[in-house]
Amino acid sequence: MAESPTSLTALGPQCEAQRERILKLFNGGATAQDTLRQLCELADDSIQKVFTELLRVRGSAGQGLCLLALGGYGREMLFPYSDLDLLFLFCNEKAELEFRPLISEFSRVLWDLGFRVSSAGRTLEECRRIEGDNAEFHLAMLDRRFLAGDNSIFVKLDAKILSGSERQTRSFLLTELQRLTRERLARYGNTIFHLEPNVKEAPGGLRDYHALLWMRQLAGERRDPRISPVNEDELTRNAVEFLSSIRCFLHYSNARNDNTLTYELQASAAERSLGVDDNLRRNAAEWMRLYFRHARTLNRQLLRFVEQKAASSISLRQRLINATIRAKSDTSNGKAFAMRDSLLEITNEQAFADRNVTFEMLAEAARTGVPLSRDSERAIAYIMTHPELPQRNMRITWPVLSEILGADFPGVALRPMHRLGLLIEILPEFRSIDSLVVRDFYHRYTVDEHSLRTIEHLQDLAEPSDPLGFHFTPIWRTVERRDLLILALLLHDVGKGMPVDNHVIGSLQALETAADRLKLSPEEKAEVSFLIEHHLDMSATVQRRDIFDPSTVTAFSAIVENQERLQRLSLLTYADIHAVNPEALTPWKAEMLWQLFVATSNHFSRSIDRDRLHASDEALLLEKVRQQAAWASKADVERFLEGFPRRYLAVHSPAEIAAHFALYQNLGAEPVQTEIKPSHHAFTLTLLSADRPALFAAIAGVLAAWGMNIMKADAFANAAGVVLDTFHFVDLHRTLELNPSEIPRFRKSIADVVNNRQGLEPLLKGRLAASLARTPKVAVQTSLNFDDASSDQCTLLEIITQDRAGLLYEIGSALARISCNIEVALIDTEGQKAIDVFYLTSERRKLTPQKQELLREVLQATLA
Amino acid sequence: MMKVEAIIQPSRFESVKDALVEIGIEGITVTEVRGHGRQKGHKEIYRGREYSVDLLPKVKLEIILADALVDRVVETILKTAKTGKIGDGKIFLSRIEDSIRIRNEERGESAL
Repeated sequence: MAESPTSLTALGPQCEAQRERILKLFNGGATAQDTLRQLCELADDSIQKVFTELLRVRGSAGQGLCLLALGGYGREMLFPYSDLDLLFLFCNEKAELEFRPLISEFSRVLWDLGFRVSSAGRTLEECRRIEGDNAEFHLAMLDRRFLAGDNSIFVKLDAKILSGSERQTRSFLLTELQRLTRERLARYGNTIFHLEPNVKEAPGGLRDYHALLWMRQLAGERRDPRISPVNEDELTRNAVEFLSSIRCFLHYSNARNDNTLTYELQASAAERSLGVDDNLRRNAAEWMRLYFRHARTLNRQLLRFVEQKAASSISLRQRLINATIRAKSDTSNGKAFAMRDSLLEITNEQAFADRNVTFEMLAEAARTGVPLSRDSERAIAYIMTHPELPQRNMRITWPVLSEILGADFPGVALRPMHRLGLLIEILPEFRSIDSLVVRDFYHRYTVDEHSLRTIEHLQDLAEPSDPLGFHFTPIWRTVERRDLLILALLLHDVGKGMPVDNHVIGSLQALETAADRLKLSPEEKAEVSFLIEHHLDMSATVQRRDIFDPSTVTAFSAIVENQERLQRLSLLTYADIHAVNPEALTPWKAEMLWQLFVATSNHFSRSIDRDRLHASDEALLLEKVRQQAAWASKADVERFLEGFPRRYLAVHSPAEIAAHFALYQNLGAEPVQTEIKPSHHAFTLTLLSADRPALFAAIAGVLAAWGMNIMKADAFANAAGVVLDTFHFVDLHRTLELNPSEIPRFRKSIADVVNNRQGLEPLLKGRLAASLARTPKVAVQTSLNFDDASSDQCTLLEIITQDRAGLLYEIGSALARISCNIEVALIDTEGQKAIDVFYLTSERRKLTPQKQELLREVLQATLA
Repeated sequence: MMKVEAIIQPSRFESVKDALVEIGIEGITVTEVRGHGRQKGHKEIYRGREYSVDLLPKVKLEIILADALVDRVVETILKTAKTGKIGDGKIFLSRIEDSIRIRNEERGESAL
């Protein structure tokens, strides 16, 4: 019978006393490095004693057996309450048979001494084999360390067994490690900015550092970052020490291996200035900013390494394709950057002394969705942080920023801008929420991270993989002034970092300064202000009102005022809820949001003529218009405005209304007044005239004849029968853009056709035929819906059909042919789908059922 | 012990929750659900496409209570969730055999 290990009985109290001593030292300010080393020495010493004693009791010399430390314990980073990863290594199967029973007894004794043991047994031969489904074991083996027993086995393992097999498994392990790392980072939303981060596993946690060490080791890099003296490695060492201090603190506080830095423990850590040498007092939010700074260091280094390794795995074919693209772009535009391996790389660093080149590169990223490489970011950061390098054009202008914000992938540019500090340089208001933790039961991320995520959720709508975004994709694709929406998202929560009771008020104050500095127009500022002020309204309506009650929709429509705002507010709300945490936007909420959007959108298009302006009730508006048109009499302005649908006010600013009024006053001299203005990548034509048959068709026809693609249009009439049509069109052949002298000829052409001085058919000949010959990319089925219920005076006709050149002219002509008068028209396009709503009358009444049937037949024949 | 399950209008949820907290009810489980009873769905046309909203959004509350509290809770829900229109929802009552607090393994009403 085996002798019991009686000499170990004293070891328990000794271990406990040692642990108490180490804890006391840690609480007294000892570094994490010292703490981990001492815990490791305690474990080593205890294990060696137990190992020796158990062998002695068994009467064995332990020949053919050795004990190794693996993983964190192997690399001498043993945290309080962490597992001891141990490997019993047998020289052969005979030794395994003899010593395997020792493992359970050994583990039990160590458990009794207060150690958490995680042990495994392998023969030398088994260590040679690659376990394809157990990469974690092979990775833990990279940190192996001899603890006790027959050292010759360990030497053999190193020199003969693993030296050969590690070379073979290197590629396998590197691939697996990259996969595991990607999965781990994705589990935490690929961001370091969690409100209650896991300091071990989350991005920026200690696992990032260890993964980087393993990757470098597997990639055969000789440089050991643990001892490298360069500046970056000093940052790394500081970050590892800071995070290790937190992890020790968490384990001690929880009395278990729990790595979540909760709000309560953040406050305690800040109170004792954990990991900080200076004696400055910091509140929890300030202390967490230090955490995020260190986490960013570790995460950035890991990602840069992963990116470099990923680049080398691109196929030869892809490299050749990329090289061709690069060669073309290099020679054609002389840019200081180019795309390489699906990343934007700097090709001429000196050029980046001009900040405009940096903005140009960021705009390219926002336009194409191709991100900047980490090396490019590092180069830009170097230039930005070395004031001795002369820099030019430091200030960004609103048009340049607007281009970045209004592109398809604004988040692809905003991420590096935030990492580089450029975003705060451009929008200092954003600083108040930089890495800001606001305690909240629902939010998972810091406020800046939440804001950037809202924008990324929107850009993901371009090609949604998320079914929640299905309904919102068409809105994102067609929404106007995305730049203002994105600016609103950047600013909507900055008030959370300001000393105000209501964060919305703070965010609006921030907009004041930002708008002044960026020189936003009053209309642009008003739009961003609306979105910030009402950014919670749609969510509140969905959750606290009955959205199927028409009065809810009417009340909500009164807040939003027009379709364009509704689109922007819906997208903002979708993104704002989605970015709270991965589960916040449930299918239930997304559906409710969509239902409210549809109901409100339909309310706008079906209720226009219900609510008409009575100018005498609009004293404030009259005053604003008269401020812009001081020469006008009040009575004239009233006469002009009387009877326009209220939507007219919602889609035009007082300055625009004053301009319309000026045109109106010239109608006596020239019966057709036009104005053409360039707008965002398009033109806007405004036309005033007395109503006349087929007017809408005539204007649409001239635009088609000149090759203009109508994207949107409104047609309104006032009580005196003056028609005000607005057409937003894209100049497909850049005729007006490249030849400004053509603009007067274009306007004359419109006036001549409307005044019957020139026929339309000769102009259109050829143009429409060419358009019809083109095969559309997406087939849109035509649908015609009549609605007699939504308006008291008009029949509504909604037409959905394939968009094509001259479409509005054809529809307008068909309506005119059977004597239908257009009271209001709302024209919109969504990709290749035309969505037109007409308020129609015939002989000043709704269309009879017979007339509706006739019109249906005529239009079906026209649109076929 | 009884289980009270209430299916209510989402718009009434905040009021119902506040009223329940006011009478001392602290443990409520809330689920976003969809369904219909007599308040069938409706059809909505948006941009030429017809969307049928046949399953309407509702909120389901689940509360486990001591028998003595049931009447008061039901009365509170009725008072705050009722609008008088079709679609206000329903309340279901069922008996509960036992309850166990995981933290300390307490059982019965004291575990509520």
